[in-house]
Amino acid sequence: MIDRVELREIDWILIGLLLLNAVIGVVLIYSSAHYLTGGFYLRQLLWLLVSVILLFLTLTVDYKVLLGFSPYVYGLFIAVLAGMLVFGKAVAGAKSWVLRLSVFGGQPSELAKIALILLLARIFSEYRRKSLSLEFGLLGVGVTVLPFVVIGLQPDLGTAVSLLPILFGALILCGLRRKTVVLLLVGTLALGFAGWNFVLKDYQKKRLVTLVNPNKDPRGTGYHVLQSKIAIGSGGLSGKGFKKGTQSQLKFLPARHTDFIGSVLGEEFGFLGVFAVFLSYFFFLARLFTSVPRSRDRAGMYIIFMVACLLSFQFLVNVMMIVGLFPVTGVPIPLLSYGGSSLLTTFLAVGLVLNVKMRRCVNV
Amino acid sequence: MDSPIYEDLTPILKRARLVFIVVAILFGAVLSFYWKIQILDYGKYWAASESNRTREIAIPAPRAILTDRGGAVVLANNIGAFKVSLIRENTRNLEESLARISPLLGLEVAVLRQRVDKYKTLPLFRPIVVKDDLSLTEVSRIEARRMDFPELVIETEPKRSYPFLKLAAHALGYLQELTPEDLRSAFKDRRVGDMAGKTGIEGAYEARLAGVDGKLVEVVDSLGRKREELERIEPRQSAKLPLTIDFDLQAKAEELLDGKEGAIVALDARTGGVLAMASFPTYDPNKFINRFTPEEWITLVQNPDTPLVNRALQGQYSPGSIFKPIMGIGALDLGLITDQTTFFCGGTAVFDGREWHCWYEPGHGSLNLPEAIRQSCNIFFYNVGMRMKIDDIARYAGEFGLGRKTGVDIAGEKPGLVPSTEWKRKTQGAVWYPGETVSVAIGQGPLQVTPIQIAAMTAQIANRGTRLQPHLLLDDDAKAGAAATRASVPPETIEKVIEGMWRSANREGTGRGAKVEGFDVCSKTGSTQTIGRETSERLGIKKKTHSWFTGFAPRNNPQVVVTVLIEFGGMGGEAAAPVAGQLFKLYKDKHDRPSRAPGN
Repeated sequence: MIDRVELREIDWILIGLLLLNAVIGVVLIYSSAHYLTGGFYLRQLLWLLVSVILLFLTLTVDYKVLLGFSPYVYGLFIAVLAGMLVFGKAVAGAKSWVLRLSVFGGQPSELAKIALILLLARIFSEYRRKSLSLEFGLLGVGVTVLPFVVIGLQPDLGTAVSLLPILFGALILCGLRRKTVVLLLVGTLALGFAGWNFVLKDYQKKRLVTLVNPNKDPRGTGYHVLQSKIAIGSGGLSGKGFKKGTQSQLKFLPARHTDFIGSVLGEEFGFLGVFAVFLSYFFFLARLFTSVPRSRDRAGMYIIFMVACLLSFQFLVNVMMIVGLFPVTGVPIPLLSYGGSSLLTTFLAVGLVLNVKMRRCVNV
Repeated sequence: MDSPIYEDLTPILKRARLVFIVVAILFGAVLSFYWKIQILDYGKYWAASESNRTREIAIPAPRAILTDRGGAVVLANNIGAFKVSLIRENTRNLEESLARISPLLGLEVAVLRQRVDKYKTLPLFRPIVVKDDLSLTEVSRIEARRMDFPELVIETEPKRSYPFLKLAAHALGYLQELTPEDLRSAFKDRRVGDMAGKTGIEGAYEARLAGVDGKLVEVVDSLGRKREELERIEPRQSAKLPLTIDFDLQAKAEELLDGKEGAIVALDARTGGVLAMASFPTYDPNKFINRFTPEEWITLVQNPDTPLVNRALQGQYSPGSIFKPIMGIGALDLGLITDQTTFFCGGTAVFDGREWHCWYEPGHGSLNLPEAIRQSCNIFFYNVGMRMKIDDIARYAGEFGLGRKTGVDIAGEKPGLVPSTEWKRKTQGAVWYPGETVSVAIGQGPLQVTPIQIAAMTAQIANRGTRLQPHLLLDDDAKAGAAATRASVPPETIEKVIEGMWRSANREGTGRGAKVEGFDVCSKTGSTQTIGRETSERLGIKKKTHSWFTGFAPRNNPQVVVTVLIEFGGMGGEAAAPVAGQLFKLYKDKHDRPSRAPGN
């Protein structure tokens, strides 16, 4: 259980920033989906409540214990994801089973990020040389590629790609050697080549292609980026006002409450709104990065750093994606985009950070 | 192994700080890109979002209604019709789209492609009409699948309709869809798929009839569904346009021509207004108001009887004996004869070394001008022709409007031909022989006239030399007096010819078939050979002559002119005169009992 020292060490500022951004998300979701049936913002609020409770529950368990369990948790997730993949392909009607699972319990692939963070933290915290060796690097790559492949085949490219910053975060912290960097880049390119030719679906390839020129195919995939840019650009300095975005309210924007929530922000609140949200998100991420030294051990630092990398990556990729600076990969903004499992995953990840920080003065 | 407590973690923290700095820089870079599109390019994106959410739809104005001179009988109006258009911008792949909509519209892919290709140079967002005049079943079938066919739009439009079908078809004209060339040149402000008048009144007064289209600006969502209306400007229909056409006279004229080939023109002798203009064979303009009825169109165009030709304006015929009044007027005016000068007709006579025949082989005996006109004696006018120069004949013919267009409102009019020495020199490089004048004296030879020219000429004789402009708009009746011109010939001279024309109808002359009791019809008939007499005898065939009649009534205070031409009708007195007689009678009856003709 939590003792008094630990309670005193809980980072309330981080929790405050976490909740602030989550509430901004609910407001944006309300504006973008209030006229749709399904009460998206209410569901998001419900998920927020659940996430807060689960976050505090996880704080009661020392992260050291969680690290001990991590290989089993990781194994379980791989098994579930692979099972979904196999059943999804072998059995007719399995899609509905997967659908039921996603509606009831969200997407298991989101939570796989937590499992990966814990496993990588455990692996790399035991590695103490000055720079990373090839064998160790490959071990890290291996445990990341496995979930990457099973999630990518779902197909859920957005979530799969989000695993990469976790791995790179760990590798960077470990001290990548130049030779390793080259090898990793070559490996990534080879993987990319194989993926492009054997794994990526046509719609995913199309998304990559339209990044180059969204105007070329206004009704195809580039249409989404173009509409999103029109929405954001037409917001101007101060925006069209809450619930007044013509692009988003008139449904020119695809996936307004998930991937393109930032377009609603840009259109309705203008550059000032964008600036404010960037700022609050930056404070949130900065709080994570500056928490890295506030750990009693190596594993804790890895955990905090990987969480910071994951959330930075997702935010940056999304805000670049909706203005055409990055392919439309389906990466949501943690906390801002609609999605229960994404919200829960983010809360649990921040929960790990809080877990590490509050126990920094405890000697085991 | 190092102790976990004294482990040096500085490199780890350094690396973490480095990554944080990179993230911070990326935040700044991305934010500056948002600055660019939201602040610097704001105008461009704002405009794009406006055009994204609004859609402008033209509301076509109904064409002005055309009525007869009474104003009560509607000759052309509008009915509601549905058309379906294809918006190429909303297709992913045009060919696939055509294949998909082909069964829905019941049109071959090739036909659809042809329609779309016709306008392929136009911007992609412009709807291209692919089918019009849809039935309600077709409309509901397309509407029900609207979500599957975002590229199709159904619009209503007012469609031109002619309630009396073929009635006055040539005078009213017809509409056709504007071609891409039209849209680039004369009709820049019009839209694809717009119909415009091509012939007749519809063509001549297109600008006046078309009205001003309205506009509807709607807010639409990404699926093109209407969310709200921003602005609506109602279309403006132009005021109804009454024509000079007299419905009863027009209907009767067409009834009388039915089954024949020819033309009838009736003019108001006091104004020059066209009371009736009929040309047969004719067509139903309702049948090709649609944009796409190629079969019917091709049938009409290829018909050897040329139903699309308005014979009243475009048919050029030898005038034959109806030219004789002009000969009489000229000879009197030049002092070559008086109304008492007589010539002897023995059935044949020799002029310029050749034997010439009168149509009445026993011969008319000795007769003067009024009698010669009454009996349409050829020998009398051969004698007159022998005394006149061709250029004098041409001058008098010209004074009475022959050899040039009358200038009636409708386009496509033919000028006819009046020969002269200069004409022959110019066209054939030869001199005019006096012998040729003999043919012209009875309206044969190179002379060519149109029925409207003869009607206008007759009106000028009726008005004792005052020439009125034939026209089709009732409003122009008021300007008739101011626009009138005069021939150089004094009225008394013309009166002497009118005496002959009166006798023609009322004293058992060739025009007796047109006599109407108490209406003093003055007339002249004509029968023009379509092939020469000698050719006819050599070939052993007896081709009937074209049958002409022209006349006016009453003799004093003339009110109405009637000109009838029946192709291959035979003798003018037998075929054309009785037709004219019925029209004179109808006119007289109608105006004797004005209560039965409301508003007239």
